[in-house]
Amino acid sequence: MRRYIWGRILRSILSIFLVVTLTIVMIYTNIPRKNVFKNDSNISKLVSRPDDYISYTYNIYDRLGYLDYMTQNDLCRLKAGEQYSSCVQKGSAVYAALQKEYEAKGYTFNLFTTGYGWCSRDFSPFETAWNFFAHLVQVDNPNYVQDEDNPNIERKVYFGTDSNGLPALKCSGCEHKYLIYLNGSFPFIHFNIITLHYGYSFPDYAGQAIEDVISDGQGEYKQSQVTFETGMTSYSAADLHSCRYKATSTLDTLDGKKFNDNYADCTNYFTDPSMVSTSYLFGILSLLLAYIIAVPAGVKMAQKKDKWQDKLGIVYVNIMIAVPSLAFIYFVKLIGNNLFQLPDKFPIYGFGDLRSYILPIVILALLSTSGTMIWLRRFMVDQASSDYVKFAKAKGLSQSEIFRRHILRNAIIPFVNSLPSNIILCISGAVITETVFSIPGMGKMLPDAIKASNNSVIVALTFLFTALSIFSLLLGDILITFVDPRIQLTSKGDSR
Amino acid sequence: MEKNVILSARDIEVKFKVRSRVLTAIRDVSLDLYENEVLAIVGESGSGKSVFTKTFTGMLEENGSVSNGEIWFEGEDLLKIKNDAGWERIRGKKIATIFQDPMTSLNPVRTIGYQISEVIMKHQGKSKEEAKKIAIDLMERVGIVDAAKRFDEYPFMYSGGMRQRIVIAIALACRPKILICDEPTTALDVTIQAQIIELIKELSKEYGFTTVYITHDLGVVANVADKVAVMYAGQIVEYGTVEEIFYEPKHPYTWALLSSLPQLGIKGEDLYAITGTPPSLYDKVKGDAFAPRNPYAMKIDFEQEPPFFQITATHRAKTWLLDPRAPKAEPPKAIRNLHERLSSMVGEGGTYRG
Amino acid sequence: MSETVSTAVENPVETPEDENLFVFVPLEAQASEHIAAPNYSYWRSVFRRFFSNKVAIAMLIISGFIIVMSIVQPMFSGYDPSSTPHINEFETHFNWPNATYWFGTDKVGNSLWDVVWAGTRNSLLIAFVATAITTVLGVVVGAFWGYSKKADVVLLEVYNVIYNIPYTLFVMVMMYILGRGIGTLIFTLSCTSWLGTAYFIRVQVMIIRDREYNLASRCLGTSTWNIIKHNVLPFLVSVIVTTVSRDLPSFISYEVFLSYLGIGLTQKTASLGRMIQDYAQYMQSSWYLFWIPVTISALISVSLYIVGQTMADASDPKTHMI
Repeated sequence: MRRYIWGRILRSILSIFLVVTLTIVMIYTNIPRKNVFKNDSNISKLVSRPDDYISYTYNIYDRLGYLDYMTQNDLCRLKAGEQYSSCVQKGSAVYAALQKEYEAKGYTFNLFTTGYGWCSRDFSPFETAWNFFAHLVQVDNPNYVQDEDNPNIERKVYFGTDSNGLPALKCSGCEHKYLIYLNGSFPFIHFNIITLHYGYSFPDYAGQAIEDVISDGQGEYKQSQVTFETGMTSYSAADLHSCRYKATSTLDTLDGKKFNDNYADCTNYFTDPSMVSTSYLFGILSLLLAYIIAVPAGVKMAQKKDKWQDKLGIVYVNIMIAVPSLAFIYFVKLIGNNLFQLPDKFPIYGFGDLRSYILPIVILALLSTSGTMIWLRRFMVDQASSDYVKFAKAKGLSQSEIFRRHILRNAIIPFVNSLPSNIILCISGAVITETVFSIPGMGKMLPDAIKASNNSVIVALTFLFTALSIFSLLLGDILITFVDPRIQLTSKGDSR
Repeated sequence: MEKNVILSARDIEVKFKVRSRVLTAIRDVSLDLYENEVLAIVGESGSGKSVFTKTFTGMLEENGSVSNGEIWFEGEDLLKIKNDAGWERIRGKKIATIFQDPMTSLNPVRTIGYQISEVIMKHQGKSKEEAKKIAIDLMERVGIVDAAKRFDEYPFMYSGGMRQRIVIAIALACRPKILICDEPTTALDVTIQAQIIELIKELSKEYGFTTVYITHDLGVVANVADKVAVMYAGQIVEYGTVEEIFYEPKHPYTWALLSSLPQLGIKGEDLYAITGTPPSLYDKVKGDAFAPRNPYAMKIDFEQEPPFFQITATHRAKTWLLDPRAPKAEPPKAIRNLHERLSSMVGEGGTYRG
Repeated sequence: MSETVSTAVENPVETPEDENLFVFVPLEAQASEHIAAPNYSYWRSVFRRFFSNKVAIAMLIISGFIIVMSIVQPMFSGYDPSSTPHINEFETHFNWPNATYWFGTDKVGNSLWDVVWAGTRNSLLIAFVATAITTVLGVVVGAFWGYSKKADVVLLEVYNVIYNIPYTLFVMVMMYILGRGIGTLIFTLSCTSWLGTAYFIRVQVMIIRDREYNLASRCLGTSTWNIIKHNVLPFLVSVIVTTVSRDLPSFISYEVFLSYLGIGLTQKTASLGRMIQDYAQYMQSSWYLFWIPVTISALISVSLYIVGQTMADASDPKTHMI
């Protein structure tokens, strides 16, 4: 079984790799680079200043992974070593030599109007894909920090306590100060050891790291009295556990007042949950509601087969399948709005108000009921005519005993199999529901990103959703072995 | 040897609603079951053997109903029981059934032990530990080795023959008065078949229950039955002791069945087979249902249904041939000396298997 | 056995008049073979079952009407999404449904009647073509896949890799990459669905491939083509109709939803989804602009689905019992 799981994991990773690479290659080949700026207001201001224009656009291209951009300054700093000061002069011979070297590597060199040089090399889409994966998973380690202003930073990993007195694994020299820490919120033990980097978002959330965009909270800062390690207290929204290393050159006086070391780049607490949490919240609640509705309904339909309860259920399911989801959402919104005074857009009342949640959750739930109902009904009907049920009846067991002890046991199996994928995919949540209600979740991010030609976000979301989907299927298959005694996953064949 | 009647079925008629038409599957059947006896019900597929015994436990399909008749068992008319709750005290406890396919009779995701124990706990009110002990005893009795260990295993870990033994154990867990075996060996290997038949025979002697075998295999009938009922097209056409049926059959259908025993085939000649197919029971049958396929049919067979003619105290047959007015008809040559022929084939042992 | 028959008949017992019933009757072998079931014609039973369902007939009429209207009306309406002849005649904008404009007019003065049918035509065109491609490709590949054990190994791997990707994501990203338009939409929808259909067909084919009646046909030397034509395909008819009846509404739904998000059809093409998106803001004022496209899309989806489901049910031989 172990071998099988490893096999599946490898295959899953291969799947993800293929899909994401294909996506990156196709996006970067087909979508012209310029589209990234089509909604950017800054561009129009820069057209008259060509140097700034180049600097701005190329910096962004670099960040987005299209190319490698270096100014004369950058190149000299990188390669000139001791000859740095002569390299950065206009018309420098050192620079010219470097230019020859790099032109051979495929860089094209140009000059600003000021006379200073810059160069760039386009990445092939495959390189872009490669870079994406190379930077994807970062394991934090004490050698991470490379700050020329702080070359002798102590590099060690050690046990200590955090500002609340709880034990924590800390590090000096890593990106994060706290590698493992505890607090009161789920999942109670937090790891900063492995972080995922998806790139930078542009033009929306310009320049921000995507992983921050989706997992940082939204809304306003949530401030409280915070005692920093220097002893200073103030109102702050900072989450001290998340502090990352900040290059010495970027530290300011306030940082100095709050922190003893360079770990001053902390994320904040927000009033509203992050995009991930939002989608997750909606997803789980609607899934719960869906099951609460669908399971009894499906069972009832099977028990009263061909009677009016069954017929009604079938009509409902047919409508749910046939009517376009968009139309359905609007219908229900209309009813909710007019009859129950429920808001038709989420931000009207926001996170705090219960009324904002009702319509989207109900709609999401209803959209998922039809599949479960039909499946459960068919399952129950099949089981009812199976031999072992007949035998159980002949043994003298009552209908409810047969149902509870035998049929349910069999039904659990496929149910459990699909549960992980249902739960995990809550995150990709009903893209359309979030869009219609303007709910700030991950589902809405995708169409927004597409409209804005925000390629990195599209790639990141593709990766995320695909990975989640594939691994949830794997999880489902593993879970099934615990519930079904017949199944022993082997490395042969396809267990699906 | 006078035996007590423990179940008496009178004038049973069973109808099924199929789409918009009505099928009369059982047409006026009366039968008595005696204590400690083995009754075999034989007949072609579709003759109504299974359906008839299902009426004893209220296990008819949803579209079926007993439209006439009474079944007297332990002083009550079973057909007066209207809902499942009423049948629960009969099924498994007084009258048990085992079915044809042991592979599918057991719930694959529950342990064997659980499936035996739950019957004991339900019908005898025992606790889980007591039931487990009884179950393990039962398992050993039916021939499961290492019963205590195998108690917690799942059906897929058992072979077909062992599963059928478990099924028998479950059926007998509560010492029912009647055990109905619906083609219990059809799905098993020949060697296992013999074992299972033997097992049921032993257990019936030990526990003292009446066995009803439903089968189309005359070899099994010859092996175990005391009494035989031959069914055709929803009626019993002949009933008697096993010797009477095999050596002095009186109904042309019984003759045809016996003639079809492959063991009677003579080298070089065609094997015997009954021509035609049973009639459709959607329509009311006029006269004798077997008449269109009956080489001994008379004109009256197409006009009037024959009554039962009593031949001996235990032997009766429903054919006009027994009417004093009917011409004499001899059973076909092939079965005239059935006793000698089969005995000479088998030698000692008494099994008529090939 | 015939020997015994003739013996019996040869010596009929002399019977007086009132006992002439007790006379042996010769066995008519043919009569005894008579089977009570009436003649059976597959397609006749299919249509009989279909037309016995009143709801299905009603849906057939509704969907037929919508389909015909969407084909015919745009041919005569002269509607062109890129031209706005009445844009400056403000009194022609936002008219409620009346005698001249049955569905009223939209924000640039076009008759909504024209726009809706043009949009429906596009939706239906996309749905039908995509369904056709998906089904044909899916059935052909699926049948082959189910039959050939070698192909199974390869295709199963491919399927495992691809099917894991959430469909909505796939469709959206592909539309982004390929750009908007009818052609790309059809391509995207078919490209992602045919494998699913193929897998489904493969499962069905595998179920019956090893059933005895197919083994028997093979033993008798029936050619593979004939086995497929007479054994496999009739079994699949019901299955295929079921997938078609599910695909059509699903594709209509996706077109509507993608256009709503702005990645479906372009501004130049009439589209129900885009109409819904454009007119959502008028839900309080000129709500007819919004609800008419919504209703039409729901109506055509539901009616096609019910027709399809009933047809699938009717073509399942198990339901043909008398």
